[in-house]
Amino acid sequence: MSSRKWLVLSLLVLVVIGVACQPAPTPVPTKAAAAPTAVPKPTEPAGPKKGGTLTMVAWQEPEHLNLELGTQTVSSHVYEFFGENLAQVNDKGQWIPELATEIPTTQNGGVSADGKTITYKLRKNVKWHDGSDFTCADLQFTLQVIRTPNNGALDTGIFADLDQVECPDPNTAVLKFKNFYASWIRLFSGIGPIFPKNAGKPEDLKTWAYNRKPNGTGPFKVTEFVTGDHITLEKNTAYWQPDRPYLDKVIVRIVPSSEVAMQLLKNGEADIMWNNTEADMPALEKMTNVKLFDAPQAGGERLILNAVKPGDPADNKTPHPILGDVKVRQAIAFGIDKKTIIDKLLNGKGLPGSSELNVDPYNCTDIKAYAFDQTKAKALLDEAGWKAGSDGIRVKDGNRLRLKYQTTTGNKLREDSQVLIVENMKAIGVEFFIENQPSSLLLGGWAANSPRKKGNYDILMYTTNASIDPHAQMYTYFHSKSIPSPDNQGGINYSRWNDPDTDKLIDQAGSLPDWPARKDLYCKAAARVVDGATHIYLYQRFNLQGFNARVQGWLATPWGGPAWNAADLWVK
Amino acid sequence: MTRYIIRRLIQAIPVLFIISVIVFSLIQISPNNPLSAMQNNPNITPEDLLRLEQEYGLNDPLPVKYSKWLGQIVQGNWGDSFVTHRPVLTEIGERLPNTLYLSLIAFVLALIIAIPFGLISAVRQYSLFDHAVTTIAFMGQSIPIFWFGLILIIVFSVNMQNPLAGTALFPHPPPLPMFPGGGMTTLGESPPDPLVDRVWHLVLPVSMLAVFQLAQHVRYMRAGMLDVLKMDYIRTATAKGLRERAVILKHAFKNAAIPLVTIIALEIPALFNGALFTETIFSWPGMGRLFFNSAERGDYTVLMGILMISATLIIFFNLVADIAYAFLDPRIRFD
Repeated sequence: MSSRKWLVLSLLVLVVIGVACQPAPTPVPTKAAAAPTAVPKPTEPAGPKKGGTLTMVAWQEPEHLNLELGTQTVSSHVYEFFGENLAQVNDKGQWIPELATEIPTTQNGGVSADGKTITYKLRKNVKWHDGSDFTCADLQFTLQVIRTPNNGALDTGIFADLDQVECPDPNTAVLKFKNFYASWIRLFSGIGPIFPKNAGKPEDLKTWAYNRKPNGTGPFKVTEFVTGDHITLEKNTAYWQPDRPYLDKVIVRIVPSSEVAMQLLKNGEADIMWNNTEADMPALEKMTNVKLFDAPQAGGERLILNAVKPGDPADNKTPHPILGDVKVRQAIAFGIDKKTIIDKLLNGKGLPGSSELNVDPYNCTDIKAYAFDQTKAKALLDEAGWKAGSDGIRVKDGNRLRLKYQTTTGNKLREDSQVLIVENMKAIGVEFFIENQPSSLLLGGWAANSPRKKGNYDILMYTTNASIDPHAQMYTYFHSKSIPSPDNQGGINYSRWNDPDTDKLIDQAGSLPDWPARKDLYCKAAARVVDGATHIYLYQRFNLQGFNARVQGWLATPWGGPAWNAADLWVK
Repeated sequence: MTRYIIRRLIQAIPVLFIISVIVFSLIQISPNNPLSAMQNNPNITPEDLLRLEQEYGLNDPLPVKYSKWLGQIVQGNWGDSFVTHRPVLTEIGERLPNTLYLSLIAFVLALIIAIPFGLISAVRQYSLFDHAVTTIAFMGQSIPIFWFGLILIIVFSVNMQNPLAGTALFPHPPPLPMFPGGGMTTLGESPPDPLVDRVWHLVLPVSMLAVFQLAQHVRYMRAGMLDVLKMDYIRTATAKGLRERAVILKHAFKNAAIPLVTIIALEIPALFNGALFTETIFSWPGMGRLFFNSAERGDYTVLMGILMISATLIIFFNLVADIAYAFLDPRIRFD
């Protein structure tokens, strides 16, 4: 009797555990509702619909919303919902005015002949979310915040050339520069937010209430910030653009990983996923409710070749025993099969890397990417005096053509591409051996003895971000004055590219205020680097965004985040 | 007893000091620093980065950094986060309720089930019930907890639809998952009644946490009970004609609970630390994620705050466990 009794009891136990683990009112499934209802395709309405809530899921956690203190990329993308700049870059890579009424140029008199005085006409009737007027005084205040010492402001150095902002009237801002600053258009337009003058005392920047409840001029205002969970933004009914925004509410939902974010996108809980990567592609393509946008992203993954002999950080003259020869560097560039990397590892979502500047408004379309040409690579190595040894690896004067190849650990895409590139190199008789390090070690600072700072490497692989105005990028990566040394520990010309012509071109471009002439000079400098092959551009990635099909009005952009045109977004 | 407690509390001070030195040094070995996220941002000049490192005191030598931190701590100031620039205690205070809310419910639920099951399992040793409970407990212990969480999400949040979607209980029109795969409340349109919503969001993470704890507690309860049941005084109690119920609940259970009390006392500080896997899988904004994020960002004031509170709790609850023994078993004395 007891055995049957216990059998019944143990079944009961299982049931109890099952119930106990689900204390919610467990609903009894009914047949009709269990099947997902097929949604009939609605007839397209004529124009944008007003109202509705948009949910963006972010898998990075914004620590606060003050870009002047910020570290996380996601914060600057949330800024696009509530904050605005003087100007922004649209989907075609052109500067368009936002809080200004036009982009200053020499033609319209906004830029003085010497380029040291820039005059912005500011939009009238723009109100902050608290109801006060947006005026030139806000720009003055912002500059004062950035200038205040020891308050944690990031951009002090970038604003160093700006002497002051003068306000002849509330809707005119005159930027007076001490020295000509080539990237003037970036100030108050992507570098640094614009603060309302009542945000707080400049020296208390770190503890402003603004940091979690920012006051902006943008189409949405932040009403709630729940750490680690979500940020709620509501429609700004006093927005300066008539009939905008369309949406009533935006929720930025914070999750710990991109896997969770993908899940929410899939089951429709999220409308936009912040920052998709190529690895998400196979799953995204299967989601019938998701539309994909891609636009080529500026910058890209590259190999950085050390032109100088490793060992002594102070010696930036002695050429690298192998990579000091431009023919060897070019041979490596010809020997890499970029297309296979893009097709196999990026699911086809990428372009072969061509040069440093590859997106409008500074897109050097004349520079062609190195073709995959093993014959040419081999010929170059032969010319350089490297002859095939017994095991196929080339030898010269008793030295093997063997190079250390490093990237950051824990990045599957990089590790997989290393495997392909090592194979490519073997085919032309070059031996690459892998010695990866965590990014904090490999890409660390001078004091941390980072190999790239001290020049203790052969070949590095990583991505450097690009900036809309390329001056800083070109100057810091390729000007001989940016080569790191004990006297210049902040320098980031890691390949130690030292070329008087490049220096001249960059200096010249940095002294002109207008776009077409500057573009031409930067492209010439970028071409010199490509010929010298100290940076070998592997692939240019896409800015991938998955949107629920109900979201309308978004345009793919190389520069902006998912909310760059937040006011125009609407949901069906 | 009072003297014993005072002595133990005084002993805790040097222990905490040593812990703080070791933990602080270990954190500083890690190459992450609060500014490393900005290293590759071309909009920030290298000079500005150097200036900020100086401003934040990140390049100070270890003893200087430590004495700054200690100087603040002895004045009751836990410092500010390097990343959010808010006081450490605010950061912790914001996350702690979320963590306790989740982990206490799972903890209590696990105990309520584990104690009677472990007890019956021991009393009826080798019965079918015992075998079933033991098997399930082993399964619960050996399944990787993160895997179990993912399975819960796939089954209940991806594959199963909520049949009550569109009704008064769940106003959201279908498709709606059976249980949500993350978060604490519904953020989108047409949320359910707040109470329903909360419980609905708790189901999966609590199941994930409770199953694991339950499995452990059942084993301890059973083992403790089996030991006690073999004791002479139990046999005496049975021999003198006491009812089985009285023998088990009054005489055996109290002593058998000692190992479980130790485990529970040591688990309470862990409740404070949060459950990293559960919080990560179910997007729960709790302590586990705060700790992980802070470690990743090298935000050492927050890390030190969490670790020191946690060390204090462990020391304190060890003492509580020792005191609890004395109450459960009068033979244990501390004087």
